[in-house]
Amino acid sequence: MLKILIPTLMLTPTIWFSPLRQAWSATMTYGLLLATMSLLWLKHSSETTWTHMNSYMAVDYISGPLLVLTCWLLPLMILASRGHMSLEPAERQRMFLLLLTTLQALLILAFSATELMMFYLMFEATLIPTLAMITRWGNQAERLNAGTYFLFYTLAGSLPLLVSLMVLQNSTGTLSLLTLSFNHFNLDSTYSNKALWVGCLVALLVKMPLYGVHLWLPKAHVEAPVAGSMILAAVLLKLGGYGMMRITMLLTPLTKDLSYPFIILALWGLIMTASICLRQTDLKSLIAYSSVAHMGLVIAGILTQTTWGYLGALTLMVAHGLTSSALFCLANTNYERTHSRTIILIRGAQLILPLMGTWWLIASLANLALPPLPNLVGELLLIVTLFKWSTWSIILTGAATLITAAYSLYMFLLTQRGPTPPHILALEPTYTREHLLLALHLLPLLLLTLKPELIWN
Amino acid sequence: MFAWRGLQRDFRSLRGLLTVTRDAQRCSRLPEGRLGSRRCLRTSARVYIDVIKDLERHLASGARKVADALPGSSWSPIEINPNLPPECADIVIVGGGVVGWSIAYWLKRKERVREALKVVVVERDPTYGRCSTVLSAGGIRQQFSLQENVYLSMVSADFMRNINDYLGVLNEDPVDIQFTQSGYLFLAGEEGAEVMQENHEVQRKAGAKVLLLSPTQLKHKFPWLNTEGVALASYGLENEGWLDPWSLLNAFRRKAVSMGVIPCHGEVTDLKHTTNVMKTSDGEKRTMKRIKSVQVQMPNSLEFQPVDCTIVVNAAGAFSGRLTQMIGVPLPVEPRKRYIYVVHCPGGPGLDSPLLIDSSGIFFRREGLGGNYITGASPTEEEEPDATDLEVDHQFFEDRIWPHLANRVPVFERLKVTGAWAGYYDYNTFDQNAIVGVHPSVCNMYLATGFSGHGLQQSPAVGRAVAELIVDGSFQTLDLSGFDFRRILADKPMLERNIV
Repeated sequence: MLKILIPTLMLTPTIWFSPLRQAWSATMTYGLLLATMSLLWLKHSSETTWTHMNSYMAVDYISGPLLVLTCWLLPLMILASRGHMSLEPAERQRMFLLLLTTLQALLILAFSATELMMFYLMFEATLIPTLAMITRWGNQAERLNAGTYFLFYTLAGSLPLLVSLMVLQNSTGTLSLLTLSFNHFNLDSTYSNKALWVGCLVALLVKMPLYGVHLWLPKAHVEAPVAGSMILAAVLLKLGGYGMMRITMLLTPLTKDLSYPFIILALWGLIMTASICLRQTDLKSLIAYSSVAHMGLVIAGILTQTTWGYLGALTLMVAHGLTSSALFCLANTNYERTHSRTIILIRGAQLILPLMGTWWLIASLANLALPPLPNLVGELLLIVTLFKWSTWSIILTGAATLITAAYSLYMFLLTQRGPTPPHILALEPTYTREHLLLALHLLPLLLLTLKPELIWN
Repeated sequence: MFAWRGLQRDFRSLRGLLTVTRDAQRCSRLPEGRLGSRRCLRTSARVYIDVIKDLERHLASGARKVADALPGSSWSPIEINPNLPPECADIVIVGGGVVGWSIAYWLKRKERVREALKVVVVERDPTYGRCSTVLSAGGIRQQFSLQENVYLSMVSADFMRNINDYLGVLNEDPVDIQFTQSGYLFLAGEEGAEVMQENHEVQRKAGAKVLLLSPTQLKHKFPWLNTEGVALASYGLENEGWLDPWSLLNAFRRKAVSMGVIPCHGEVTDLKHTTNVMKTSDGEKRTMKRIKSVQVQMPNSLEFQPVDCTIVVNAAGAFSGRLTQMIGVPLPVEPRKRYIYVVHCPGGPGLDSPLLIDSSGIFFRREGLGGNYITGASPTEEEEPDATDLEVDHQFFEDRIWPHLANRVPVFERLKVTGAWAGYYDYNTFDQNAIVGVHPSVCNMYLATGFSGHGLQQSPAVGRAVAELIVDGSFQTLDLSGFDFRRILADKPMLERNIV
């Protein structure tokens, strides 16, 4: 555990004291090294669920895949940011790298926390570097508004979470996940217990995001620089899912009844946000709304509290993390060349950048859950779980699958096929770094297609 | 019958609910307030106030009252100039003349979803003191020698006839560009008759209704005309005339702003670009430039705003060459000064007077109904006036215009020059025709300039063509690929023989 965390923290002097060019290459290489080492977390050699333990941090079946995803993303973020950061002064570049590394360390701590209070602290702490990234390095004036929405939506939800965790600490005596699984909770259906339930979950639902409280996400994703969008879409949303998986363990009998409106809202949000995607003119906004849609399905799956629900949620979270991050990188390649995110201005790009068209195809097909990619596996598991929970949900999930396919293909066909306008005929050819970035996103996805047991056991 | 009465009463009462009538004098009311049986002793006219129309005013005054009542003030230490253009935009149109605003309007019409494109129009002179649009004679004709020009004018004339369908804004006054439909009359001597006949063929094939007249027919139609030396005349029967360019410009601007185009008052001082050396398939090197941002300087100030943009449209008219100089790319468009003189002649040609263009190069048209006429001439290359300022040379009228005018229309021997002005042609020195399309070396600069005197009349059609090029990728309705910049590089001029 510490053999990954301490090197991540030690990247700080690397960034600050090396010459600038080496700072970028060194951080990225060490990040890749750490990502390779983090694959060890997927191996569970002991009988108990918790492995790689120390007194504060541990890895189990749910946090393992998410931890690997987090570690994998740091080198990818650094690779993606080299383009637009090269124009900035040296200190700001180092500051940016420092923010990314700090965020990485906090996320490792968050996912591996054994104590719920530590999880909460790290959950809150990740807000600060992300806010700094969005408001400082975003591209447009709207980034200030986006940062405010991002910060205050999450903070408003997490104050009840703090209070609820304190209450739970007082009533059970501990918040350590290692022992809480042995406590048999039987919460009565009183008003205060229901308030406790809502208080525990609302912060995580805002983070996921649930459809009604999702407004911060399109703003934050669109205004953030590419590294910010990547980490937001790939990992920060999954913090909410992971937290829900942990906390619902403590709220046992209440969840069956109280989850009803939230599941409905999540499923409705699935259709609504998928439909909104069809009308988006901004490419990053389209990808952001598709994130809301996929996460809606994940929320519904987690709240059904079944094994397949958790499996499907985990699979979809990992697969969606890689896919969404890849799509944001693709949108960024367009943005760096033409300085525009408007879809109708960059059309027919396959004629000019054919290899990038291949990546667009794979990423779009992954987004629409093409078999046998893990996106489909996750979605299928969740749809079946929801069907078991209620037969009528198939109408909503089926319609949503259809609309997801529609907007993914719409995005692909509009950006890649069709007539090429004259002003993009002489775009810069694709850099090797961009090919590498997308390959590193999509190869793990193909790997998971062949061996999904990596994230299941 | 009673149902109709009831319906009338209901409608009147409904209208009464929606409008607040304020009577100049208080009317006496009967104790029972039943509608229809109220009698008012009103002696002045009713003043209707439409609450819904005034809603915005009421809301604004309410907001102001609330802001005054609340503590604090709206002063901020950072003075943000409200006129600054946005930091980034999709399309920056340099030049707020009729072509620029036409392109802005058509771009907004062609975006499929509301607010898909962020369009900024940058104009450095809101008084339009040196703008070619407002200083033009405002004529529209179809009698060109190039088929594309004929099509452009026909489409534009159709646009202007139905202008309120296109540029009408809800709840605002309708557009009136005072389109006076009247033909152009070209006169040709012996040398020019054959060319006129060829042009006539082209025009007829394109669908324009133009009539060729012999001198006798001409004399019969226009008795005030002296047909000496005229071999052939060409008279446009429809889609020709003159209009008020200022109203057209304002109509385009009002509609475009109502659709969400951002107007900016500032001057483009620099185009920040990146240069890329690329190899063609034959192996030769080409330098491709891409504009990254446009520096817009605020008027009377050192403050400037770099606007990051995807596409720049060069619709700067006579000053387009100066804009492309900022990026180091030559453009064969330069300002050429043309004079227009307003003359008063009481007994001159009446309502049937066409816009007459003589073979000597002079032209005149009727202006209004008070015996005023507008006249001018295109100078030859030797007598080109200096284009540094817009001072009028009255000697030009005496030497070059009046003799030919008096020769052609004998009544004009006794006229009085009441006024004169000068304006620029954005003169394409290569072939005096429009340059429409992307510049071959600057990847994202679209050109819509070089109209050489027929920009105003082609502006609606050219605006639509450029919008199609940007949004659809190629021309959809009219194929203007003949006006591409590449003809200049390949040295294949598209000469327009009928230049006025």
